[in-house]
Amino acid sequence: MTRYIGARVVQLIVIIFFISVVAFLLVHLLPGDPTVSILGPNDTVQARAELLRQLGLNKPLPVQYWTWISNVFHGNLGISFLTHQTVSNAIGVAFPIDLELIIVSQLMAFLVSVPLALAAALRPNAILDRVATTSTYGMLAIPTFVVAVVLVLVVAVKIHLFPATGYNPIAQGIGPNLRSVLLPSISLALGSVAIYYRLLRADLIATLQEDFITMARAKGLSTRYIMLRHALRPSSFALLAGAGLSIGSLFTGAFVVELLFQLPGIGFQLIAAINSRDYLVVQGMALVAAIAYVVINFGVDVLFTFLDPRVRRG
Amino acid sequence: MAEIGTVAGAVEHARGFESLQGLAEPAPVVVEHRSGLGAVFWICFAWVALMMLLAIFASLLPLTNPDYQNYAVVNTGPSLHHLLGTDDLGRDLLSRIIFGSRVSFVIGFASVGIALLCGGALGLLAGYRGGWTDNILNAGSLVILAFPALLAILVIEAFWLPRTLLKLTIIFAVAGTPSLFRVIRATTLSFANREFVVAARTMGATTWRILFRELLPNVVPAAVSFALIGVAVAIILEGSLAFLGLSVSLPTASLGNIINEGVTNNLLQVNPIIALWPSIYIFLLLVALNLMADRLRSRFDVRAGNL
Amino acid sequence: MADSADRYDRRAFLGRGAATAAGLALAGTGAPALLSACGASSPSTASSSTSTAGVSTARPRLGGSVIIGMSSDIDGFLPAQSHFDNTGLTYANAVFDTLTSVAADGSIRPHLAASVVPNTDMTSWTVTLRPNVEFHDGSPLTADVVLQNFHALKTSALTAQAVTPISSVTTSGDLSITFNCVEPLVAFPAYLTTQVGYVIALSQLDSKSGSQNPVGTGPFKIVSWEPNDHFTVARNPNYWRKGLPYLDTVTFKPIVSDQSRESSLRSGTIDLMVSHDPGIIADLQHDSAFQQVTDLHQTHGLPDMDFICLNVSVPPLNDLTVRQALAYATDPAEIVRLFGRGVLTPNTSLFPPGSIYRAADNGYPVYNPTKAKQLVAQAAPRHGGNLTVQLIDVTDPRQAEIIQALQSMWQAVGFKVSLGQVQQVQYIDQLVGGQFQAAADEQFGAPDPDLNYVWLSPTTANPPIALNFARNKDPRIETALQQGRTHADQSARVEAYQAVDRLLAEDLPYLWFSRAPWSITGNTTVQNFANPILPDGTQGQGFGGGVFTPGQIWMKA
Repeated sequence: MTRYIGARVVQLIVIIFFISVVAFLLVHLLPGDPTVSILGPNDTVQARAELLRQLGLNKPLPVQYWTWISNVFHGNLGISFLTHQTVSNAIGVAFPIDLELIIVSQLMAFLVSVPLALAAALRPNAILDRVATTSTYGMLAIPTFVVAVVLVLVVAVKIHLFPATGYNPIAQGIGPNLRSVLLPSISLALGSVAIYYRLLRADLIATLQEDFITMARAKGLSTRYIMLRHALRPSSFALLAGAGLSIGSLFTGAFVVELLFQLPGIGFQLIAAINSRDYLVVQGMALVAAIAYVVINFGVDVLFTFLDPRVRRG
Repeated sequence: MAEIGTVAGAVEHARGFESLQGLAEPAPVVVEHRSGLGAVFWICFAWVALMMLLAIFASLLPLTNPDYQNYAVVNTGPSLHHLLGTDDLGRDLLSRIIFGSRVSFVIGFASVGIALLCGGALGLLAGYRGGWTDNILNAGSLVILAFPALLAILVIEAFWLPRTLLKLTIIFAVAGTPSLFRVIRATTLSFANREFVVAARTMGATTWRILFRELLPNVVPAAVSFALIGVAVAIILEGSLAFLGLSVSLPTASLGNIINEGVTNNLLQVNPIIALWPSIYIFLLLVALNLMADRLRSRFDVRAGNL
Repeated sequence: MADSADRYDRRAFLGRGAATAAGLALAGTGAPALLSACGASSPSTASSSTSTAGVSTARPRLGGSVIIGMSSDIDGFLPAQSHFDNTGLTYANAVFDTLTSVAADGSIRPHLAASVVPNTDMTSWTVTLRPNVEFHDGSPLTADVVLQNFHALKTSALTAQAVTPISSVTTSGDLSITFNCVEPLVAFPAYLTTQVGYVIALSQLDSKSGSQNPVGTGPFKIVSWEPNDHFTVARNPNYWRKGLPYLDTVTFKPIVSDQSRESSLRSGTIDLMVSHDPGIIADLQHDSAFQQVTDLHQTHGLPDMDFICLNVSVPPLNDLTVRQALAYATDPAEIVRLFGRGVLTPNTSLFPPGSIYRAADNGYPVYNPTKAKQLVAQAAPRHGGNLTVQLIDVTDPRQAEIIQALQSMWQAVGFKVSLGQVQQVQYIDQLVGGQFQAAADEQFGAPDPDLNYVWLSPTTANPPIALNFARNKDPRIETALQQGRTHADQSARVEAYQAVDRLLAEDLPYLWFSRAPWSITGNTTVQNFANPILPDGTQGQGFGGGVFTPGQIWMKA
């Protein structure tokens, strides 16, 4: 077990290292450089060269990479070439936004998909099942940005309960905070509902064929009890695994929602930084997003090991 | 045992457990077995086939040129000349949607097809062989999966101008390969130690034969099921890229480009059908594909049919 | 984003806003707003008969706060180092003061300066500061501070270009600074209304975190700035203009998506918003729940113009016949009809209709596709039989539509046109480096035509980096620009710039469509957002080029 965790942690570190290198290379390979963003069209060749030197961007790439990564190990992610804010600060603002968006949206997705799957699994291919399958799949079939725009136009503008844009940090009150993430979370939740529903339903149906379920029925336990106490837990692995994948990718994947609702999360800031060639911000954000993804999925794996002792590691 | 950590992996875990419970096959799932695929299936099939035919033969159809701008009929509703109406530049929406569906079909199916082939082959190999092959391929897939796709796409597209369908397809295929790799790997793992595989190995079958004759047929149902989700995701993702202005270069129509046009420039309030028609199209297409896939699975693969 | 300035505007976010943002901010704000009070121009405001949008003569209520939706965020508060697009200038107006300001009639009036006086031949300008003005940190405004500010501008790669005409600066006493120019610089006071006219405290100049912590003389002081989220300021109790500001706090919120910004206004999330999008402007214009001010009828100064910039130095565009063909093939009226949402009017000159600098008939080609085809037939053999043009723009939804329409118009007369949408950084790179053929651009907003010298002069059209993006090297234009720059006599200047207008229509480095629209729209509680009164009592330019001063806004109870 410890060996397993140990091996996986090593694997994690190797993966994160590779990602840091690729992120670094990719952003440096982009045509253009931050001098255009900083100096605008008023730069002369000398000014550009001087600025590049000041920013340390004239050194060979491996040297720049090493400088960056060794700083990262000391906790210094650098500063933005444009705003001069520290990258850590930018991440400190962005990460909680994404975290909250993800938690709220995935909770919503679970709240819808789990009961639906429970009900549908009882009678596979019956009307409820068919309708639920089709409609959840339909939710997957609508582009997020259409959902977001329509939600704002219909809900925020007509019913003045929810702000159309902006993030209210928790520090300013939990009420306004929740109101500001509700609409964006709904936009994000829709896509996940379909996947969670299908995964859970499939596993539930398989589990319900098991002998121990038959025995529980024979004992006279109520359907509800069986479903919630006996069937749900062993059937949730696929769901959790899927959630891990989903959640991991939402850190950057939520950019459409972030753009439309003006939530300066990781996706939002990443796009802005890439567009202005703000290298350190891009590298920092990419690193953080990758770490989040890998750690979450790792956590899911470890969770399984605890939940199911039969899982063996090779 | 299937390594948990992937969607399919988790699913297969649950089923893999069943397979260890003894040599007897577990009781079959209670699914109505009808001979034939049912009316719903065929309706969906007909719909999808029709859409694909329209897309393939678009140039031969009596459609207005999708790029032709007629300023006399800007933002009009459905009419005799323009069955679905026109957009902000006076272009016929029906024509743009049909030509645009080409892009979606190619991106959706071709990229997933390529991902299936590459990811599938690698997944079979990794799942069966295990050991270092597995470790390296698995780690490699995690690197691609964990890497913020946003960054990669933005960068690649900045470089690789002009943005053609081919380039987008390749990008999507590369992005989709790791997911399918992991799905097929997990499924393979769950079958790799089954008795029939062991038997084949004992009898001296080569790796290739085992991969293709024994494992592949069992892996296909789960693979197809996820591939179809992948098609949906790819088609929608093209839309999200269009939102960033990163889909096929203008003025080429793609469903994503049309929807994006329809929700910007205040057009959602001025002429909502621009965004509406392609959204409905995508919706119907994906739902039809889904129903077909479900039916196929429940008909041909009893156990995987529950997915 | 390149336009880190106009960057967080969704269009900029995704790339647009172009040169306006970066560096062009130095060209200054758009023309003075139309304030109906002046009578002459008709108000383009959604107003009832008794009140005018954005203008309130009622007694201001002291206190309260307002939330304003902006189209972008800025990257810093140092005039010498940051890009001040319309958002930057508005933010700066909250915490800083410019030495001079534009009045509603287009004239330049003293603001932080008490007077700006030239010598007889206009080669030297003496600025006298107001006494007893303090910065937010308590330090006094002195001539030395202004000197240090100028020094920063002169030594910064970003702003040095804009202040080249000023060769040296001397102070005399605590309140007097003299700017010496190499040659007569008639429009000097106008320069001081722009980015180079803001005066910041020495503590901010010298501080390492100066770009994040503004210390000025302005009506408000900074409370907090969180990029992409908000910029909050609170009343400066020691403001040198007694009685101002009226509000306790102002919160600016950058909202990149135009649609989302409008929704925010409608849903009450914000009270006031700036918009650049004709669709949004049209949507809110006649809504009685809101009051709107636009800058579309200004005739003073120059507004930002929407146009196609042609690279005159590369084939086939180096052939005048080809450029003429493109001009005849372009129908600005149609473009405006398609995308202007009833808000824009076509304009085929560098100067807006009603401007004194506009030539009566500048000779710009009127849409004539037949003639265009003839010209194409004429020119094609000189270029290998086919005329191909690549048209680029920044990734912006409205621009995307415009270039698609243009492609159709140009192809209709025989050109082969390919389109490209690039990110802002690349876009500017390409424009500055000359690696483009035709580019959809927005530029030229300024309170005085002289501030556009760098963008139009043949002297700045040379490699490797040319600010005259079109690279049009017509010596006659240089002569005219110099005349406008150095002659104090108004009629000489008018003659000079009218000549520029005609020459541009002849050389055709630019294909015009219309002026760029800016609007500011508020709910019915926000008062007086477009009616600042200058220190000398004259009515100031309320709103122009997307810039306004929050200093005199007040909220109804």
